[in-house]
Amino acid sequence: MIPAAFDYHRPGTLAEAVRLLNDDAKVLAGGHSLIPAMKLRLAQPKVIIDIAGIGDLNYIRERAGKLAIGAMTTHFDIESSNLLAEQCPLMTELAPQIGDVQVRNKGTIGGSLVHADPAADWPAAILALDAELDVTGPSGGRTVKAKDFFVDMLQSAVGPNEILTEIRVPATSRSVAYVKFAQKASGFAIAGVAVVAGKLTSVGVTGVAAKAYRAAAAEAALRSGASFSDAAQKAADGIDPLTDIHASGDFRAHLARVNTLRALERATARR
Amino acid sequence: MPATKTKPYIGQPLKRVEDPRLIKGIASYVDDLKMPGMLHMAILRSPYAHAKITGIKTTTAKAVPGVVAVLTGADVNDKCGPVPCAAAMPVPKVPKHTVLAGDRVYFVGHPVAVVVAADRYVLRDALDLIEVDYDALPAIADPEQALAKDAALAHPDFGTNVAYTWTLANGDLDAVFKAADRIVKQKMVHQRVTPMPIEPRGCLTSYHAGEGTMTLWTSTQVPHLIRTLVPGLIGIPENKMRVVAPEVGGGFGAKLQIYAEEILCCHLAQRLAAPVKWIESRRENASSTIHGRAQVGYYEVAVKKDGTVLAIKARSIADLGAYFQLLTPMIPTLTGLMLAGCYKLKAVRMDLTGVYTNTMATDAYRGAGRPEATYLVERLMDCVADELGLDPVKVRLKNFPKPSEFPFTTATGLVYDSGNYAGALKKAQQLAKWDALLKQRDTARKAGKIFGVGLSTYVEICALGPSKIMPAGGWEWGCVRIEISGKVTVITGTTPHGQGQETSFAQLVGDKLGVPMEDVVVLRGDTNVAHFGRDTYGSRTTVVGGMAIVMCIDKIIEKAGKLAAHLLGAKKVSFKNGTFVAGKKSIGWPQLAGEAYVAKNLPVGLEPGLEASAFYEPPNCTFPFGTHIVAVEIDRDTGQVKIVKYVAVDDCGPQINPLLVEGQVQGGIAHSIGQVLFERTVYDENGQLLTGEFMDYAMPRAGDIPVYIMGSTVTPSTSNALGIKGVGEAGTIGATPAIANAIIDALSPFGVRHLDLPLTPEKVWLALQKGGAR
Amino acid sequence: MKLAATYTLPGSRDKVYAALTDAGTIQKCIDGCEKLVQTGDGAYDAHLKIGVAGLKGSYVGKVQLRDRLPPESYTLLIEGKGSPGFVKATAKMQLVASGDSTKLTCDAEAQVGGLIAAVGSRLIEAAARKMMDEFFRKMAINTTGSA
Repeated sequence: MIPAAFDYHRPGTLAEAVRLLNDDAKVLAGGHSLIPAMKLRLAQPKVIIDIAGIGDLNYIRERAGKLAIGAMTTHFDIESSNLLAEQCPLMTELAPQIGDVQVRNKGTIGGSLVHADPAADWPAAILALDAELDVTGPSGGRTVKAKDFFVDMLQSAVGPNEILTEIRVPATSRSVAYVKFAQKASGFAIAGVAVVAGKLTSVGVTGVAAKAYRAAAAEAALRSGASFSDAAQKAADGIDPLTDIHASGDFRAHLARVNTLRALERATARR
Repeated sequence: MPATKTKPYIGQPLKRVEDPRLIKGIASYVDDLKMPGMLHMAILRSPYAHAKITGIKTTTAKAVPGVVAVLTGADVNDKCGPVPCAAAMPVPKVPKHTVLAGDRVYFVGHPVAVVVAADRYVLRDALDLIEVDYDALPAIADPEQALAKDAALAHPDFGTNVAYTWTLANGDLDAVFKAADRIVKQKMVHQRVTPMPIEPRGCLTSYHAGEGTMTLWTSTQVPHLIRTLVPGLIGIPENKMRVVAPEVGGGFGAKLQIYAEEILCCHLAQRLAAPVKWIESRRENASSTIHGRAQVGYYEVAVKKDGTVLAIKARSIADLGAYFQLLTPMIPTLTGLMLAGCYKLKAVRMDLTGVYTNTMATDAYRGAGRPEATYLVERLMDCVADELGLDPVKVRLKNFPKPSEFPFTTATGLVYDSGNYAGALKKAQQLAKWDALLKQRDTARKAGKIFGVGLSTYVEICALGPSKIMPAGGWEWGCVRIEISGKVTVITGTTPHGQGQETSFAQLVGDKLGVPMEDVVVLRGDTNVAHFGRDTYGSRTTVVGGMAIVMCIDKIIEKAGKLAAHLLGAKKVSFKNGTFVAGKKSIGWPQLAGEAYVAKNLPVGLEPGLEASAFYEPPNCTFPFGTHIVAVEIDRDTGQVKIVKYVAVDDCGPQINPLLVEGQVQGGIAHSIGQVLFERTVYDENGQLLTGEFMDYAMPRAGDIPVYIMGSTVTPSTSNALGIKGVGEAGTIGATPAIANAIIDALSPFGVRHLDLPLTPEKVWLALQKGGAR
Repeated sequence: MKLAATYTLPGSRDKVYAALTDAGTIQKCIDGCEKLVQTGDGAYDAHLKIGVAGLKGSYVGKVQLRDRLPPESYTLLIEGKGSPGFVKATAKMQLVASGDSTKLTCDAEAQVGGLIAAVGSRLIEAAARKMMDEFFRKMAINTTGSA
């Protein structure tokens, strides 16, 4: 349970942090994905860049009709945000379902998103909300759309020389829901479905495939007037569900459908 | 003069004396111990389930500054060990269990090399620098497949994977089966589980070269068994070895053991002339601490149409793993001993095959073979009821012995001391509001819900045990000493590690000596203090340890009576509430103790001091019993099971401390919730352990535990003067089949008769699909 | 674990087969193959740094090409061990001409052991599939223009 040796930096500015980044370095945010991997020596970064020292990366603000969330905002801070509870309640519905209290006190939304665990919870909501994510690198800043953010299993669009700084989500109605079937041991999602219901209902699914996805077929069915049941049946269309000792691909796909229906019903019951 | 109590300590649900220090974090576990000059030890383990070691390169690791030693099997195997097995079983070929692997590895986690360094960080880095070359060999991980003709051999030199065969047979089974109206058959798999105590294994060893003494502090349940067996394995005389169990963070049988690492750590303390500490990681605990259960059985029960159960036949395959640990081959035979359960059978037969596989050894784990027995018997009773179209409660009642038939000799030859199975069952039904519960099931089913009610009536054998049936003595030793100040020191040869005897023994002693509990200290776990003992396992501590203490108290009271009579100038004295009385005169313990030790006025022939020790030899085991009733609701779409009612009625005789009894039962039920709903040790077909961390091995958490409705009946044991029975394992023995039966009952409208554990959501959901649940 | 997939690679069977069994090309196509040194006919010592995203481990081992029947089939054997554990994969390759291209069927059996099996079993199959896909994607780039 002892990581391999590493150099540790705690830069005071974003620019300094970006300068320090390279292929052998890892950014340390809340540490609850990185440090366990390091303790197991599955990850052996030579350099750790602790960005907790950079001011103003932990905030939840309203800006131009959207909610801007700093990348270093903890899951707990999101869970207890009155602003988000009012304006983007999918965030406050999902946050308390992450891990456990200790994880939520330290883990950050930014760290979780960049780690891109296929069974993490945030990706489902980020996709369903069509969030925008700001990334800073040596050549400046860019904005990545949610649909382009999750590249593959454990791989986000954030390059090794870049840092995720902000996540922007739209204001929504109360008609949202996140329904999750958790892996009993780890608490990760075997199938987590986030729904933002409205004229154009969006459905984000995590835990089922190698990366989180929008259930496009289910969304299309809803747009063409299908019932919730019928639309939910398509929640696993077009993807390759994961199989492991905890759930077969068939069961994951089934749970995607079940949880999509439950999330749709729960979301629309809230007005 | 202490104020007289208003009521006895015994029977009161007193909070534990142990808890404040445990809860405040000021208790001492083995990793809290530090010694000057202490070195740390780490083990390099095999990532292969079966392989030849073709080479080990240690030069790079040795060269790391701060590394004191890097050793392999060639360096240590002829100097310490082997790892002992104390179970006397007729096993033709036993693999020699050297402390480190020889030229082959036989399971993932098999220790291959050891590194010692003063700094834990250097130690961990050096471990990565040892290069081992392996030639992979075919591995066998499944015990049934291990019996196939072309199966890979776990130990190729043996020519077979069969370790032993064992039969228990009583009565004319064939005749009984012929006379039966029906034979009900069911195959069942008792899945392998991993104990996962919160504190992993660890030890600290220190060798005093001047005195030639070895001290081993280890997270163990059995310091005395270690002191009996290990000195010969490390070249130290028995009476120069001291073993200490500090606070232990969970044993459950996983620490009823002697591990290679403990033996090696002792050897290294002597070899390297420095104290050596070893603390394993969670993954090592998952791979290299004993596993539990792991049996497959083909069961048949002969019955009459009216529900009379005549005989049980079992063909069992026990997955022993690659090596024997302390009791490995013996554990599955305990399943045979309890094959009759709570029932009057005419005959039993178990044919057991113990099988080697390239996996971690199995051994005693909370219940040790008896949970398997109760599970199979109680599932069979439900299968019988199902096949005969009878009420599962009536079937059980019909086959119970009556209380007047005790001591009851079972079909397996055991003599159950006392029992009132119908009484416990009826009380459980009462607490469960049985009729209303069945109506609730009906209503729920009519509303389209998936609802089930199940029960289990169990009996178990514990308070081990008469020395005749134990490998190395089943007695227990105790010592009670009244100090000069009048305070009381109790020493027990048992080694409680969470069972609470620091509290319950103080209650017992407080009542019997008439002293305040606060004045009683209970010592355990240090072989220099508790000279003799047979330690803690098999739910024996309160019964066998308690009786030894009672013997000591009787001796002290007798001696003190003589002194009191002398001091009071009386011919006879009577003893009550801590005071010796003769007419109007009386004398209490503080004064007596002062007189006994200052010794200026002792009667002729009376030795000074007020201390007694005793060995208690139990005439029989004890047989606690009970009934658990469970109701469950199942989510049709996800297969998730929710326990909506849990009733436990357990009978362990008179209860010294009902809070402790409740705690044991609740903990045992939690273990069962884990085994029934989600626990499973997974090896893939190549013997790779896939459940190596809590990421993949699910343990019950607080949120999984329903609110229990708990009750008890009290049927004293005839095996000891206190009338008490053990209860440490009873909860998990009774609970597993009760929960399973409830779930199968819920699934029975869908055509499900039996499903093997764990009953995970996917498994339950698939069963519902097959049965047409939509 | 068993993995099976079919890929279409541009180029004739002969050209594709040659690329698949050429050490230089193989090294280019295995992402993280830091070294590939020939030790015999169709046998190589290899240094691999493979894994998923940030969870890469260093493995030392062998790559072998066996049962070569050009241009129809061959078997690729990759073995490696490192501190994260060990990997052993055997992939039977069958090549079938398909117009200007070659259809390749890969039937692989992989064994993973040690740490990554004990703690990462949920990711292994997906990771292995990804590595396989990536290998053939890169191979396709190499065989483009080899009609």
